[in-house]
Amino acid sequence: MSEYMQGGALANDDLDFSAPRGRDHAAERSTAAVKSPALNVAIGVSAVAVLAGLALWFMQLTGGMVQTAMRNLDSWGLYITGFMFFVGLSAGGLIISSVPKALGIRGFGGISKVAVFSSIACTVVAIGLVVVDMGQPFRVWELFVYSNLGSPLMWDIIVLATYLILSCVYLWAQIQTERGKVSAVALRIVSVIALVTAVLVHSVTAWIFGLQQGHEMWHTALLAPWFVSSALVCGTALVMAVVIGLRRAGYLEVEQENVVRLAKLLGAFVLVDLYFFGCDLLTEGFPGGAGAEVVALLTQGPLAPYFWFEIIGCAACAVICLTPALRRNGLLVAASLLAIAGIFCKRVQLLVGGFQITNLDLPFAMNSMSVTYADGTLADAYANLVYWPTPLEFGVTLGVVALGFLIFFLGLKFLPLRPTEK
Amino acid sequence: MTRYGMVIDTKKCIGCHVCAMACKTENNLPNDVWWNRILTDNGGEMGFDMVGGSYPDDLQFGYVPVACQHCENPACVKVCPVGATYKDPETGVVRQDYDKCIGCRMCMSACPYNGVRSFNWEEPAFHMDYAMGSKDAPEHQRHVVEKCTFCYHRTSQGIEPACMHLCVGRARFWGDLDDPTSEVSQLLAERSHKRLLEERGTEPSTYYLV
Repeated sequence: MSEYMQGGALANDDLDFSAPRGRDHAAERSTAAVKSPALNVAIGVSAVAVLAGLALWFMQLTGGMVQTAMRNLDSWGLYITGFMFFVGLSAGGLIISSVPKALGIRGFGGISKVAVFSSIACTVVAIGLVVVDMGQPFRVWELFVYSNLGSPLMWDIIVLATYLILSCVYLWAQIQTERGKVSAVALRIVSVIALVTAVLVHSVTAWIFGLQQGHEMWHTALLAPWFVSSALVCGTALVMAVVIGLRRAGYLEVEQENVVRLAKLLGAFVLVDLYFFGCDLLTEGFPGGAGAEVVALLTQGPLAPYFWFEIIGCAACAVICLTPALRRNGLLVAASLLAIAGIFCKRVQLLVGGFQITNLDLPFAMNSMSVTYADGTLADAYANLVYWPTPLEFGVTLGVVALGFLIFFLGLKFLPLRPTEK
Repeated sequence: MTRYGMVIDTKKCIGCHVCAMACKTENNLPNDVWWNRILTDNGGEMGFDMVGGSYPDDLQFGYVPVACQHCENPACVKVCPVGATYKDPETGVVRQDYDKCIGCRMCMSACPYNGVRSFNWEEPAFHMDYAMGSKDAPEHQRHVVEKCTFCYHRTSQGIEPACMHLCVGRARFWGDLDDPTSEVSQLLAERSHKRLLEERGTEPSTYYLV
């Protein structure tokens, strides 16, 4: 069976961050990546980007959120787009890793721990992006004191926190199982719980949007399963790209057969996601009326570039993943990146699209707080994308994403994430 | 049960924006913050404050004053993670606790009546050096969501909301919708009326006589 069943013999690595111990292990196992100067540079660069992001966030808090492009009629922006995206991205790792263990089928050749760690990094980014979006981050404690358990946002906070903790427990359990300190049965139980939480996290994130009757584009029962499928697409793509990259860097060895199995899985997930998109477009568009407006907005309106990039990118990804002759490493990485970018475009469509159609389409005396582009008429403000982020928002987002990279690189350096079969 | 509601006679509204000004003054609203906005109906291609249609046969001139609709089934209250926006049990008015609001803006995206909720994107600034309006109006804070309070500080003392007090066309009425003898209930019984976005199921307490 898979690696955790025979893990006991290899149990000599500790969750120990001290450098000297790490050097001891160097004799037994290749530590090329751990000592890699490139990794140190990557850690340094991400750390600097995190600090820059923190400085910009401080600017946003002191100078006011008026420095963002968000306004009353388009009150969420890049931060929440990124939140949706990174919640999705975090899925793949955990699901790729836990499904084989939960169902007792063959895994993907020891990439499980790296995959889960990528999930942890993405979850931290997702949580970080919600925090920077908040106007009063210092009141965050109220969430636990005055919790309104009826709010989908509250559910998401609970599930996300559980998910983050569980991912860490799951990673720890895998490492301990390899050392023979946790039984395979216990690991299997943890993986089942982790899997259920992963599916919940995506559903609940979808419900933040999907349960709002105020937005034609969001209010659909398909949104939750669709979020799960999109999460599987970009998550699997991320794992595949990371694994191919780390293999090339010499950090881990993975049989090509396992990469191919990941690619096939990615291809299937992409097709399911596109199928859901097709179903949704048909259901929106067929009766005409307000739904047809959504379809027109996506296919030929201001969101068309994002729509077509997603459709064509995901289709190309599916073709590469499902055609044996095309499954070369370079192309597979390109396919992964296309899928990830495609799903990001999906998030942009959802978020901006939700605000792009107003329910009360009647002109009023606008000012600089009403909508992002308030110079002309109401029609002018909605003629193109109603929202486009300011440099400050890009900077803060970059800082939060860099935090994810920093965590991931630190993990590569200090945690025993490499496969242990050999 | 008391359920405060407002009835606006669109046939009497002349689009003078005085109710918006009265609201702004009474509540000492910061610069660029308007809880009560006057939407132009049938403005045609000209848009805001314009006449629609064509002279002389179907010229149209209409306004829809829009503030918080104080819904019976408010979408905003359900989604607020900390209960900063809540329905007042005694009056049915949807209220907002600035000290509690964490600024997540979930209520803003949940509310189907785009733009009735406003976020203080910057430190509240004022054209006047001194505070305007009522001393009982709550103080404004940066980075929290606010909206029409149904002039809670006035109505809780039995005084009419500020928007209605100065209405030139006397187009606004307020009262207890649950009391069949109230002025609002009787107007609704006599005249044909509509509510905004009724299909969204929010059951607004603001009615428009048509």
